[in-house]
Amino acid sequence: MTRGDSLYRRLLGLLLLPLLGLGSLFLIQAWGDAQRTANRAFDRLLEAASLAIAEQVQWQDDRLWLDLPPAALEMLATDAEERVFYSLVDGQGRLITGNAELPGDPRQGLEGSDTLLYRHIAWQGLSLRQGTRRTRLEDWGVREPFEVRVAHSREGRDALAAELWHANLAMILAMAALATVGLLLAIRAALTPLTRLRRAIRARDPRTLSPLELSLPRELAELRDTVNELLARMRRVRANQERFIGDASHQLRTPLAGLSARAELALRQDDPARWKEALVAMQATSVRTARLAGQLLSLTRLANPEYRPARAPLELNAIARQAVRDHWASCQRQGVDLGVEASGGDVWIRGIDWLLAEAIGNLIDNACRYGGHCVTVQVENAPPRLVVEDNGPGIPEARRLLMLRPFHRDHDELEGSGLGLAIVDGIARTHGARLQLSAGHDGGGLRVALQFPGDTP
Amino acid sequence: MNRLSRLARRWLLLLGLVGSPAGADETLHYPASPGSRPGASLVIHGALDLPQMRPLLESFHREHPGLDLRYRNLTTLALHERFLTAPDEADVLLSSAMPWQYRLANEGHARALESPAARHWPAWARWRYELFAFTFEPIVMVVNMAVIERYGEVRSHADLLALLERHAQALQGRIVTYDPASSGAGYTYAIEESRLSPRYWDLVAALGEAEAELVNTTGEMLEGLIEGRYLIGYNLLGSYARERLADHPRLRIVVPDDYALVTQRLALIPRHSPHPAAAERFIDYLISEAGQTVIAQDTPLGAIHPALTGPGTAVHMRRQHGDALRPIALAPGLLATLDALKREALLARWRREFMRRPRRLRGASPHGL
Repeated sequence: MTRGDSLYRRLLGLLLLPLLGLGSLFLIQAWGDAQRTANRAFDRLLEAASLAIAEQVQWQDDRLWLDLPPAALEMLATDAEERVFYSLVDGQGRLITGNAELPGDPRQGLEGSDTLLYRHIAWQGLSLRQGTRRTRLEDWGVREPFEVRVAHSREGRDALAAELWHANLAMILAMAALATVGLLLAIRAALTPLTRLRRAIRARDPRTLSPLELSLPRELAELRDTVNELLARMRRVRANQERFIGDASHQLRTPLAGLSARAELALRQDDPARWKEALVAMQATSVRTARLAGQLLSLTRLANPEYRPARAPLELNAIARQAVRDHWASCQRQGVDLGVEASGGDVWIRGIDWLLAEAIGNLIDNACRYGGHCVTVQVENAPPRLVVEDNGPGIPEARRLLMLRPFHRDHDELEGSGLGLAIVDGIARTHGARLQLSAGHDGGGLRVALQFPGDTP
Repeated sequence: MNRLSRLARRWLLLLGLVGSPAGADETLHYPASPGSRPGASLVIHGALDLPQMRPLLESFHREHPGLDLRYRNLTTLALHERFLTAPDEADVLLSSAMPWQYRLANEGHARALESPAARHWPAWARWRYELFAFTFEPIVMVVNMAVIERYGEVRSHADLLALLERHAQALQGRIVTYDPASSGAGYTYAIEESRLSPRYWDLVAALGEAEAELVNTTGEMLEGLIEGRYLIGYNLLGSYARERLADHPRLRIVVPDDYALVTQRLALIPRHSPHPAAAERFIDYLISEAGQTVIAQDTPLGAIHPALTGPGTAVHMRRQHGDALRPIALAPGLLATLDALKREALLARWRREFMRRPRRLRGASPHGL
């Protein structure tokens, strides 16, 4: 956006431009009108004069005869003192009399009747308006056609046209000025709510996320509502963050307090065997705590909308097999049967291998922890899908969505952080995949599926 | 233009008979004063006699001594012919043949002069700033005192008509007027008078009945009046009559109080004038208060300038004769005067009216009355 760009100027420009165009059209129209009106008014003079002359044309001594009425010529001159010309021409185009050999009018008039033609002519360097009357004698025995041509210079009509045009010009200019002033005021008034909105936003405490309360016209009300929606989302995000921080602190404090208590207990004793026992226990707790911290870290990272790791083409079957190999031993120790059902062909997606491994690990871990005895990792094709299914107690449908929230555990007494599914959800979102929780294929247990977008690339 | 110019030539022959009985080529020459810028000159062609022109030119030359000033007095005929053959010879044309001057201007042969003096010149005495009337010369009657003493005052056309109708016998052959058929000025007056009133034709008929003499110039009429051949002169150029009759108290100049035509001399600057700046200065002078004062005081022509009120000015004459003065309008009606058919029609009518009433004279009547 350039510095000069403003709604006010844009509106003014867009409205003034057509107004200007319209005004110019009016002016051109007014000019044409003035010309036509002046010509019409002054052509009446040509008409009257030519008629006055034609009426005096007679047949005398076997020839056309004219007793020219001086008044007919006086008629042609107004206050503008026009130059006046006339001529009487017989049917063969011969000049009978006149003070100028005015040219004939090549146009055809109405045949057989009295016709009158007007046109502009240039005659010996003078610009004239000529009227040509074609008529014939209506004498007893004579039907002699003749033509009366009268012409006068154009000062009078030009002056009248200019006068008419100036009157119109003044009116159009006054109207344009009024319209412009009205436009300025209207645009200013129309943009006032925008100023109010800006002031309202500027006057706010930067920490408040409460909605804007401001009555605005419809277009701006939409903007206000959008801002309010954004504020509401920000409020929810902030509430989530606050709860997450609270939960995370709580989760970390418990094992740290345990470590501290265990160390204190061990220090009161002198038996190295006890110390070793305490150290082993403390090591297990710190490993768990480290894992918890790691999980929190990855969750935080995944929750960051700016986090966009580079994705590479991956083969899902290989990922699934590797994950099963990694966890097979620990599952075996807990007496859980871990298996893989690979898809027939290769299933390629774009993704981050370690994140997907983490997701599968979390799901296997959850399944083991919440009472599954048989855990299967499946890969499906079209659409590409990664599924972990167990035969544990499962989750009632109504509570499945809650499971995706961090620190939510279905059974508080059980060991675990409650971050597993939340992390899987974050990983799914990072991949643009959909996380689906449903019951297992035989109606029991839990089936968690990551459905990746698109077909095999 | 062949036919037109043929008509024009015929016309000029007639107009040539108007007014000045000037010789072939009278000129006045005022050389530029020594030491002035060379090349500054002015050529004026006028149908205005030297005695009347001299005071004007002298006064103008006093104001502009640097100008080489040349005035050529021509008849109206010679003036127009010369202009048509050499339109770039003269800087100013002065002529009493109003229709012809008007026609030249109408056809665009004149150059406009838009000086302050021109703008202040009365609108009735100019046309488009191209044509300027600079004199004011009523058309008058001259009546021998003997007539007045015997038959009473003759103050108007109506008086004249009544006198002619009542005493046609007594005035037989003792009245003189212009012959419209052979005098351009007479024809112009006839056309203007016939437009003013249809009673003009009664007057023509009465003149015919009284067997008025028809002559071609004011000079001839004045001659006959002074010699006593005529008792009444009708339609004389007032300016000439005033000058010639100054020492003839028995001949009274009557400006009719019902209407009196006023003829004006018209000045124009030709479009192709070789010295337009000098020409404009001269016209400016002609219509200035100074120039008009010279016209009022040193010539019998009559000044138009509205600021001048003394004798010999339009204002003075208007005050004396009121609305009766009818200056011939500088309007397109003048063009009708030049129409050949119009002329034939009017003259035919004039002849008809002139011969309308039976002649009573000397047994010459075919009916033996």
